[in-house]
Amino acid sequence: MQRKKTTASVLMSVTLLAGLLAGCGSSNNDTSNNEANKSNNSATANSGNTASNDANANKDAAAAEDTSPITFSFFAEDPNPNWNNMQDDVSKELTKKTGVTLDAEFAVGDPAQKVALMATSGEYPDLISAKGDIGKLVDAGAVIDLTDLIDKYAPNIKRVLGDNLARAKYTNADQSIYAIPTWAAVNEQRFVAGGGFELQHRVVKEAGYPEIRTVQDYESVIKSYIEKHPTDENGNKNIGVSLNADDWHMYISVTNPAVSTTGGSDDGEYYIDQTTNEAIYHFRRPEEKEYFRWLNHMNDIGLLDKESFVQKYDQYKSKVATGRVLGLIDQDWDYNDAQQALKTAGKFDETYGHYPVTMSKDIKQADFWPTGFMGGYGISISSTCKDPVRAIKFLDYLASDEFQILNNWGIEGKHYKIEDGKRVVPQEVQDRINNDNTAFTKESGIGFYWNMMVHYGDGAKDESGNYYTKNFPEQLVNGYSDAEKETLAAYKATTWKDLFPKEDEFKVKAYGAAWNIQIPGEDEVSILGTKMKDITWKRIPQAILAKPADFDKIWDEYMADLDKAGVKKMEADYTKYVQDRVALWSGN
Amino acid sequence: MKAVTVETAKIERPAKTKASRFFSTMLQQRYLYLMSIPFVIWVFVFSYLPLWGWTMAFQKFKPAKSFFEQDWVGFDYFKELFHDDTFFQALRNTLAMSVMGLIAGFTIPIILAILLNEVRQQMFKRVVQTISYLPHFVSWVVAAGIISKMLSTDNGVVNEVLVGLHLIHEPIQFMAKGNLFWSIVTASDVWKETGWNTIIYLAAIAGIGPELYEAARVDGASRLQQVWHITLPGIRSTIIILIIISIGHLISIGFEKQFLLGNNLVRDYSQTLDLYALNYGLGMGRYSFGTAINIFNSVVSVILLFAANGIFKKITKESII
Repeated sequence: MQRKKTTASVLMSVTLLAGLLAGCGSSNNDTSNNEANKSNNSATANSGNTASNDANANKDAAAAEDTSPITFSFFAEDPNPNWNNMQDDVSKELTKKTGVTLDAEFAVGDPAQKVALMATSGEYPDLISAKGDIGKLVDAGAVIDLTDLIDKYAPNIKRVLGDNLARAKYTNADQSIYAIPTWAAVNEQRFVAGGGFELQHRVVKEAGYPEIRTVQDYESVIKSYIEKHPTDENGNKNIGVSLNADDWHMYISVTNPAVSTTGGSDDGEYYIDQTTNEAIYHFRRPEEKEYFRWLNHMNDIGLLDKESFVQKYDQYKSKVATGRVLGLIDQDWDYNDAQQALKTAGKFDETYGHYPVTMSKDIKQADFWPTGFMGGYGISISSTCKDPVRAIKFLDYLASDEFQILNNWGIEGKHYKIEDGKRVVPQEVQDRINNDNTAFTKESGIGFYWNMMVHYGDGAKDESGNYYTKNFPEQLVNGYSDAEKETLAAYKATTWKDLFPKEDEFKVKAYGAAWNIQIPGEDEVSILGTKMKDITWKRIPQAILAKPADFDKIWDEYMADLDKAGVKKMEADYTKYVQDRVALWSGN
Repeated sequence: MKAVTVETAKIERPAKTKASRFFSTMLQQRYLYLMSIPFVIWVFVFSYLPLWGWTMAFQKFKPAKSFFEQDWVGFDYFKELFHDDTFFQALRNTLAMSVMGLIAGFTIPIILAILLNEVRQQMFKRVVQTISYLPHFVSWVVAAGIISKMLSTDNGVVNEVLVGLHLIHEPIQFMAKGNLFWSIVTASDVWKETGWNTIIYLAAIAGIGPELYEAARVDGASRLQQVWHITLPGIRSTIIILIIISIGHLISIGFEKQFLLGNNLVRDYSQTLDLYALNYGLGMGRYSFGTAINIFNSVVSVILLFAANGIFKKITKESII
């Protein structure tokens, strides 16, 4: 309640201030003020900024003619624990340039429910990043079609997205653009391998850097390490592999790896036949049964953490942060907090490297299967937004070269400098990034806007010939610790990606990735999907924790449960969505 | 003014019918009525107006459409609900955990209250009381963290003690065993709420006149007999009222504990009706289905409340309605 009050009073004072600047002190009403701002283009406020605008005059000049202070409320489905209420360097610069202050809320807990609640309440924030739940907001008429706004006011967005803008269309039936795709990157070459299976550097070092290519390789290095070092220096037991199975992390750490070790690429809960575009619920592939049988075996020989399916996410992270967990099967962003803690504590040999582990050597790990530009998740403007034109201009500014560099690199002279026409991060800044990441991120705000802005991906270069992002091979290596470099050198690689099969070994998927296809909430596919999820999330842990002799029995029961719940119907319906997507995307 | 009213009422009373007598009393007590109006409005706005939302359960509700544009589907969502196995499982879990909670949540605080009442040492009594009700102020999020840490196989206190005493050889995976889940929830509820629930009984006990105890002592009653014949009957009406109210709440035990302590392995035992409504209703944007579940909850609650009230009225002549 208290917080609400403060927000309200801040809003009020901002509005009042805006009123003064625009020279219409007679009114302190929200809407009339904004109307005034729009029509007058607030002569007073603008004249002050013309000079600075001219100085930046380039093709970004369109970015912000109207920089009178305005506050937009914003909701994002992804958490941002380091968000500093616009008090960081990048955000301050952003406010200076656009006049926009964001009153941001990042989801805690289950964002899908928050969005559902938002859809019924009729109280929408001005800007919403609803990811996969955008359908709920579209049904409620909570978000507006942005096609015309983009056309009129967003030159940067148009320039960056180009033809890919067509991939932002909602469905075949409703070709409006409700969300500007801000998750997918344009012209992306991926350099960072953040997935696969992870092993601590000390584990592979001790084993003499053997090839880690199959689950058997992975198992044997962990096994031999734990036999030699059953406990850490304080007498606490070392743990072979810990899984993160709290709520949706189940997908990341337990069920997706079943696809990747059997040669599939991430298509959510489905496996999609690349020629017919037919979808099957991926657990029904016989190959995956063998992956879970291997996990069952790991549990049987005591290498799998007994608490894998019981622990909560924070318990998992704190366990990883102790350095006792030798191997992970997770994505780097999911365990990164814990790894940062290890780095801060100076335990670099207990941080993790990534290996392209599959069931057998003839299977290609498909993490780098190219998806093309994915469209999908993005940012929307709500139907109750105070000033959609300012909002789209704000989003357009985020897409400008100037801001992309600001978000990715920080402030020139402070977070990076230009040497011989190249952007370079000074050593002392890089040290802080490596070793004191959380505090540094909070202060600098670097990266906060990554999923709010239309952006170029890793490997894309701007006019000056510099990369837009910091993730390019040379810079990546700067971010590696000595332990990491030592391991990579032993495998004759410079980045982790060198260990994985390359993009050109695969054929581009025609539908992007199935996990970001929008399914309306009331559709039977969604309801069946939840039922299947409940069955799977119960049965998979049971199967893994069972005695090896019972594994087949439990698996057969699991398959029977799926059949009974209507898995075939779900697959057939989902196939239609995939084929629709292919038609929508190839139709332009 | 006052005197006049009283006088007229007195004079005319014999001639008045029942209805007009009601109105004259009302007129007499008009200030009291006036004072209660805000509360009546409050109850109406917050408890009766929202009932209008129940119409959603009979529509294929789409947000942001007006009431008249919605499709009416009759009892479709209820039919779907009663054909879903998960629903009956959730119902079973809800009732099991709330009945266990009800039994433990009554006997243990009453026993603790009586024991505390018998303690002569004031200092000791205060300390015990404070310590026992402190956990009430700990939020379930924190409590769940403490409980799962204590029951952990990885240096958890409970397993360490059990293994140390050679009662078991291998640490037990408490949180992964579905059949233990109900007990864990009940036990943690007892730990958290016993002290707090004791307060109301202690207050009731304090209201029993000391002369009753004195008389009993004169008659040669032992401490135990005093408890049985004076203390317990003395707080009987408090107990019965609280039981009737709790029975009304049997089905709406919320989901905090189950949500925080549960995991996928024990889902068959941890999913309560409220969690079911959250996962299959709101979580999927199926507002109508969620509403149907909640209507079912409310109807069952009302039936339980009246049943409990009726039974107690028959047996003990005490009731709340």
